[in-house]
Amino acid sequence: MNRLPSWVILTLTLAFLIGPFLIIIAAALSAGNSLAFPPQGLSLKWFIKVFTIESFRASFGVSMFLAVGGTLTALALGIPASYAMTRYRVPGAEAVRLIVSSPIIVPGIIVGLALLRYLVLPTGIGMLTALFLAHTALVLPYAVRVVSASMENLRTDMEEAALILGCTRFQAVTKVVLPNIRGGILAAFILGFVTSFNQVPVSLFLSGPGIRTLPIDMIAYMEINYDPSVAALSALLAFLSIGIILAAERFLGFSKYV
Amino acid sequence: MFEDKRTGLALALPAAVFAAALFLLPVGILLSEGFRNADGWSLAPYVEFFASGRNRVVFLRTLKLAALVAGVSAVIGYATAFAIVSLPPASRGRVFALVTLPLMISPVARTYAWLVILGRTGFVNQVLVGSGLLDTPLRLLFTETAVFIGLLQLFLPLMIISLVSAMENMPRDAVPAARVLGANWFQVFARVILPLTREGLVIGGTLVFTGSMTAYITPAILGGAKVLMLETLLYQRVTVANDFASASVIAMILMVMAFSANLLLKRLATARRAR
Repeated sequence: MNRLPSWVILTLTLAFLIGPFLIIIAAALSAGNSLAFPPQGLSLKWFIKVFTIESFRASFGVSMFLAVGGTLTALALGIPASYAMTRYRVPGAEAVRLIVSSPIIVPGIIVGLALLRYLVLPTGIGMLTALFLAHTALVLPYAVRVVSASMENLRTDMEEAALILGCTRFQAVTKVVLPNIRGGILAAFILGFVTSFNQVPVSLFLSGPGIRTLPIDMIAYMEINYDPSVAALSALLAFLSIGIILAAERFLGFSKYV
Repeated sequence: MFEDKRTGLALALPAAVFAAALFLLPVGILLSEGFRNADGWSLAPYVEFFASGRNRVVFLRTLKLAALVAGVSAVIGYATAFAIVSLPPASRGRVFALVTLPLMISPVARTYAWLVILGRTGFVNQVLVGSGLLDTPLRLLFTETAVFIGLLQLFLPLMIISLVSAMENMPRDAVPAARVLGANWFQVFARVILPLTREGLVIGGTLVFTGSMTAYITPAILGGAKVLMLETLLYQRVTVANDFASASVIAMILMVMAFSANLLLKRLATARRAR
């Protein structure tokens, strides 16, 4: 193809993919009181207002807790499993792999409903606990996949050398394996964090008044309000995700692991 | 590398038990509910579900929109992917990063943007009415078109990524060779590009199709109660009607779709390795 059409195609596709995001930022900068593009005057007031909305602060806290805590728990479960599956001949390794990666296949809304009906209602555990377990399960496949990939890339003779030199197996893992795959672990953490933070369907049925994740709170807010604060919040969250990814890419070559 | 089976199992077990107990078990029970009614095991919930014309409309709409999004994203995807791989290497990476950037942004934010664009006083209507083309604003929100546009923007990057990686594996001179030998662009696409990138197309298509089929946010925000899809119907059946029978039937339909798509992908992946 000659230059012009492919240039046109790229511009159109990128405008379609990125344009709406730019429009959100512009709408969020509006000085007016309702959502509009082009913005009516320029101001940062909606970016500031977002921080004063009580429910956003609470749900941001819930989402951060789930994203950080759930991902760390998934890593605590996933790293030993990855180590076992890449270094040992585990009986039924295929079954383990399938079970652990199953949360990626099942549509989130089903998980949320199933946990509500067969875990929360019968046992009376709190919503926050249920959300925590659901988000941990959601992130577990990513943790196992990314960590396993970096363990597979790590040469096993380093561990063997450590063992021969008198390390216990636990020492070999903590002193040789883990430091060498820390990039992979961080990549798994970031991927898990972003997945957990942005996900909606899993938390849908597990959110009630009082405890809500941020994305669900945003949806609830915009059903009642038509002001640019959700636009401002969306823009802030987008910058946060992009910032995290860029930093990871810069320092770790994040894309190697994903 | 280590033969000790018990240690290996002990290390793998916590994760497996966690996923099985807190995930597979509840989901399994939920899905099995779709095969029960008051008298015990039965297919009646399925028959009842599909007996309702409204449910059939939602089911067919979900299939139709998912197929349409997959089809249109394949067309746009091929054009874009080809444009990306023909860029010089330096700018190729940058453009590719821009294409994948939306995947990092919250789907709520991405869907929300379309409210600003398609709303009654949104960007599109302001342009149309402001320029005098129309007297009254168009009703764009809460239509299938709005849901289609939202889903397309959400999932198009997945298609482009799959096709770009498929095209990068294509022999470099295949296209120029076909051109030199006199093929027109349609022939180049049908006889050279399409066969060589078929795997990428199937992978991208499956991701986009199942993604659209199981999306919740986009139909909820852009379609509302007017344009229900399976996921929004499921949510509505539970929260509004307390109707768990239909909910587990819908869950099973979604599950079968997602699972068969995954199986297809796995097939392709192993076929590729065997070759």
